[in-house]
Parts: sequence; structure tokens; C-alpha cells
Amino acid sequence: MRMFKKVKIKFDGWSILSFLFVALLIIPSLHIFVNLLLPANENWQHIKDYLLKDYVTNSFQLVLFTGILTVLLGTSLSWLISVYAFPLRNFFKWSFILPLAIPPNIAAYTYSGLLSYTGMVQVTLRNSFQIQADPRYFDIMNIKGAIFIFTLFLFPYVYTITRAFLERQSASLIESARLLGKKPLAIFFSVILPCSRAAIIGSVSLVVLEVLNDYGVVQYFGIQTFSTAIFKTWFAMGDVNSAIKLSSSLMLIVLTILILERVLRGRKKYSYTTTKVRPLTPQPLTGIKGLLAFSYCLVVFAFSFLIPTAQLVYWSTLTYSSMLDSSFWKLIMNSLSVALVTTLLVMIVAAVIANYCRTNNHLLSKLYAKVTVLGYSIPGAIIAIGVLAWFIFLDKQLYGFHQIIHTDSVKLVLSSSIAMLLFAYVIRFLAMGFNSIQAGFEKIGTRFSEASRILGVNKTGTFFRVDLPMIKPALLSGCVLVFVEVIKELPLTLLLRPFNFDTLATKVFQYASDEMIQEAAIPSMIIITFSLLAIYFISQVETKGEN
Amino acid sequence: MYIQIRNLSFGFKNSPEPIIHNFDLNVNQGEIISILGQSGSGKSTLLRLLAGLEKPWGGTIVINHQVLFDATTFVEPEKRGVGMVFQDYALFPHMTVEKNITYGLGKLKRSERGHRLEEMLELVNLKELSHRYPYELSGGQQQRVALARALAPKPSVLLLDEPFSNLDADIRAKIRGELKKIINKAGITCIFVTHDIEDSKALADRQVMINRGKVNKVAACY
Repeated sequence: MRMFKKVKIKFDGWSILSFLFVALLIIPSLHIFVNLLLPANENWQHIKDYLLKDYVTNSFQLVLFTGILTVLLGTSLSWLISVYAFPLRNFFKWSFILPLAIPPNIAAYTYSGLLSYTGMVQVTLRNSFQIQADPRYFDIMNIKGAIFIFTLFLFPYVYTITRAFLERQSASLIESARLLGKKPLAIFFSVILPCSRAAIIGSVSLVVLEVLNDYGVVQYFGIQTFSTAIFKTWFAMGDVNSAIKLSSSLMLIVLTILILERVLRGRKKYSYTTTKVRPLTPQPLTGIKGLLAFSYCLVVFAFSFLIPTAQLVYWSTLTYSSMLDSSFWKLIMNSLSVALVTTLLVMIVAAVIANYCRTNNHLLSKLYAKVTVLGYSIPGAIIAIGVLAWFIFLDKQLYGFHQIIHTDSVKLVLSSSIAMLLFAYVIRFLAMGFNSIQAGFEKIGTRFSEASRILGVNKTGTFFRVDLPMIKPALLSGCVLVFVEVIKELPLTLLLRPFNFDTLATKVFQYASDEMIQEAAIPSMIIITFSLLAIYFISQVETKGEN
Repeated sequence: MYIQIRNLSFGFKNSPEPIIHNFDLNVNQGEIISILGQSGSGKSTLLRLLAGLEKPWGGTIVINHQVLFDATTFVEPEKRGVGMVFQDYALFPHMTVEKNITYGLGKLKRSERGHRLEEMLELVNLKELSHRYPYELSGGQQQRVALARALAPKPSVLLLDEPFSNLDADIRAKIRGELKKIINKAGITCIFVTHDIEDSKALADRQVMINRGKVNKVAACY
């Protein structure tokens, strides 16, 4: 009797659904590891003997230098902005988030267009100043160029997280260091950097994961990395087996980074003991110092947002009349519809798992939470290969079933449908929905649900009548984040889309690959506009929440 | 005995020591009991155990001949028929006073629900505020809404967690009187938790002092 009761308490609809969702999430990854045991073919032997070393060194260089440079740029800017007052400080404070709206591959196309022989910079030098500069000076299509692009368009991760930390946590620390007679630079190195270590490491690991996820930039610049290799083995050689072996090698690197992050971050998390939040009063910088701070900020802002956006707007004005036809609307509709459906799926799955984790505090629920957010750390190409391999496997198993429905059914039904792409999107972006919902739940606490249950309403009723309406802002933020990420997504979409299915992001990629950079401007601008709107919306929700 | 608590024990996951240790208490129907103790003495935890929000390590809880907890039974909070007013009231911020009060009346017919709402609004004297949202009410008014919400489904017992801690000192005496009147009028068995001996004296028929999860002393109030 007792056993029966216990079992009954544990297995309700929430636990069954959560289990199902989590199982679906990890099956593709498991599939990768199972396939790893298959014997290697000659392609893999070739890759291992001649190419793997290049992939490793190139990926390593990109990650290392982008990491170092984003930390320097991000922390120095967040320090300047939180500790000092100088001209236009409030403007720069939020404008440094804007580069996040520009996907690095779009920035890469824009900069290479800008700096090419027929681009704005060289043309101006030739025509207005009669300078015939060596075109090699302007070549950014190499590793250094990629690092430049990644740094400029990913540093906001470090900037925003570190600044939030500095604003909330450091007032008393900085002030006591000042009173103890330390100079600003000494405070920066002896107090700020060590204290915000966790914030910096957390944010730079996001940057690193983005770099490893990237396909657009490295492909365009012709740099051989893991992503380009996975694409090549699949598209050019049609070799899923080797693609899986490459993916698992990359996966090992990602896991190493995640573990490294844990170790480097140490036992401390973001916060320390005080609960009182006292904002730091910024010190005014006058004269030459103020001017220097201002110029530094202006240069970064110009390169990371103003210049590429202006260039894209200019190109858009050249091409809009030939671009805006019915096929273009189809493109927008494609992007919007996959983004909407994905957002809906992600939020449902995330809400179920988050609610399960909240109402059950045991090992299994903690494990669920970990698995749910893992997808965002895994580069798109790996997820794509895992999902692809699994769907092909499913199709093979289901072939008999397909034939019952359609006697002349083709072999690949699921793996040639949009379902495969949507499934992969959900795995990749579930973390964003889940984190938002979890933050919402943490904010409201458990008292309201408890009150509801004492009043006789069960878990599910409570969830719909009390929990969901109360976490509405968090839900909305989650939706917006997921939506925009899907609109921007490239590697997954390229690998898994059905034949002839294009989104804004894949079209931009295709135009750029065909050297039609000006034509890529309008779809790029639409992606950027969506991202900007999302940033605006979320910052509004956040300021509202703080008030 | 209307409420029987026997040998109740409970502790949090990470603590080796139980917070509630072999706790025993009997309560008669209609009685108002106050549980007095310092913070950390386990008094709020006791209410959460009665409400089913925490699962005890062992012991039994019986209310009105219904076993709510023993070695083989654990009745989920939504099926216990227990009313509770939280320390910070936990009024649903997205619902009006009216919606808050009728929240637990899902099983009643619409007309009966309306009738019960009227009764409750009258009991706590909030008729004219039924369309307001919780943030538009004063602390005392919020407390009365929470009380009405807890009483509306006709619970077998009313649990109050530190009912006066959120109120200013100058209106405390007035609210005490009001609360006593409402509880008497509703004729309900009531257990409340407080650290203030004055509150305890003013409201309770009997007071139970607890220390480290054990009954220290039981005294009648006159």
C-alpha cells in the first residue's frame, strides 16, 4: 500500500511529460556517441592524418585570441562606464549592447565589402586622395580578420555581464580601496578583475561557445575549423560517419571548456554576502582624461555598430527596388513561421520541465535542469549532425510504416521534412526559454502556488491559473529571445532545412557566397532590426522589473 | 479530540537534527490555539506540516477523524481542506479581491459561489472593495482579504502564520480585535503562530510554547 502511494505521488502528468521531453533532448547526443563506436572509414583516416591538426590549431587560435580581446575590451569598457562619468556616458552605457544585434557573419560580409578593392575605403582613397594603397593592407579574410570580427561583435557578452556585476556588487569594495589610497589602475587590477572573475569567465565562455558555433564567418573567410569541416564531410562527401567523428571531437573540446569554466570560476558564484544594493557614484573625468574615455568609447561604438550599419543601410538603398518581390515576402514568411513555431514549442517544453524542477527537489530534477540547458553550449553543427543521424535512423526503422500509409513512399520522410529542423532548433534554444522561465519562478517564489494548493486547486490548475499569469514578463522575454535567435540562426538551418527552403539568414549566406554582398543588405537589415527590437523590448521589461 | 498530532517529527534535507521533534498536540473543535516561540523554533514549519506543504519524517496528523498523515498516508495539500493565511498573505496579484476570494470555490455552482462571496465580503467588511487589486489595498485590508479567501471554502481548521508581523504597531491592537471577532463569528478552529506574547494573550484560548520543536509549556489564557 505504501509503495503504491509513493509511486502515485511521483508519477503524475508533469513527471511523465518532463521525462519524455528530456529523453527526446538527449537522444541525438547519445546517438552521436553510439555512432562513435562504428569503425572509421577512409575519409576519417584522411581527415585524421592530414586535416585534423589544422582544424584544432585554427579553432584554438580563434578561441584564444577572441577570448583575450573580448575580455580586454569588455572589462575596460564596463569599468569606465560604471566607475567614471564622462561625456555621453549614458548613451554609451546602453549602446554597447547593440553590436549583439549584428550576427558576426553579416558583420564579416559587410567589413569585407567595405574594405575590398571596390569598397568604400579603397575607392575613397583612390578617388579623393589619389592614394594607391597596397590592397593587402585591407585584406581581412584571414584568421586575424575573423578575430577582429568576433571581438567587435561578441564583446557585449563580457561587457553587459561584467557591468551588471560591477554595478550591483562593487560600490563598497571600490570605495574602500580608494580610501586605502589605491590609484584607479591599481584598483582595476587588484580589486575589480579578481572580484569579477566569475562574471568575466562566465561571459567569456559564452563568447567562446559562439566562436565554436560559428560557421558563417569562418566559411566566408576560408578558415578551416571544425564547423567548416563538419559541413564539408556532410555536404561534399555525404559522409555522416566522419561528420559524427568530427562532431564528437569538437564536443570533447566544448566539454573541456565547460569544465574549465567551472574550475576557473571557483566555488564562488556571482554574488557575495551583502544583500543591500548600493549603486556606485561615478567619478567625473574632466579635461583630457574625459576626452580620452569618450574617444575610446566612440571608436569602439563606431566600429562595432555605426559603420557596418551605415554601410548596410547604404547598400539597402541601392538594391531595395530589385529585392522586394514576392519571393522576398515568402522568405520573410518562412523565417517568421519557423521562428514562431519554434518559440511556441520551446516555451511549452521549457515550462513543463521548469515547473517539474521547481516542484520536485531531487537529483533527477537537477539532472533535468542541466540537460535542458546543455543544448546552448553545443555548437549548431554538432546538434545538426546528431539530429540528422537520428532522423535517418528513425526513417529506416519506420520505412515499413511509411509504406502502409503511402505504398510508394520514399525512404526519407521525416529527415526531409521541416520537423527535423524544428526539432533541432528546440534542442539548441531550449536553454533560453528555460532560463527565462526559471528566473520568473525564482522571482515569485513558491508561496502563491502553496496558497493555491491549500485552497484546493491541484498542481496543473495552479500552474495555469496562478504560476503562468504571474511569470508573464519572464515568459515574454523568453519568447522574444528564442524568436530572435531562430531568425539569426545559420549553421543548423543550412544543414537541416528541407530542399529549397530558405530563411533570411540562409539567403544572406547564399548572397554573400555568390559575391552579391549588396543584395545581402536588405535581408541582413531585417534580421538586425528584429534583433534591435528584441533588445529594446527586453531592456524595457528589465527596467520595469527593477522598478 | 478534533485535531490530534502525535509524535510529529520533521527536519530539512541537509540538517541532521530535526526541527520538529516528537511533537504532540490536541485541539478541541472551535478552540483558538496560539503557538509561541522564538524565530527558528520551528513554529512556522509546524503550520506547513499541518497544511501538507512539507512531508513529515514520522508521526500522525488527524483532523476531524480524517487521517491526513501517518506511516501509509500523505494527503496532498489541495485535498486537505485546511485554510491558511500566509505571513505576507500571498494574495494573487493578478486577481481582484473578488477573484481571490472565490479562487478556492471551484466546486460550487455559480450561484452558490456568488452567495458565499457575499457572505465572506460581509464577514470581513470589504464589500465596497471587491473589484480592487491587492496592491490597491492597505496592509490591514489585504489581511482581511487573505482571511476571507482562506475561510471561503469552509476549511476544517484555519492556520495563521504570524498574522500581525506585517502591520504597523499603532493599528495592531485594532486589527487584533477585528480578527478575534471574525474568527469567533466564523466559529472555526484556529491555530496561529506568533512570537509576540501580547498577540497570543489577546487572541488565544490556549497557548502552546515551543522550543526547538518540542512543547515547552501549555497554558490557558483568560
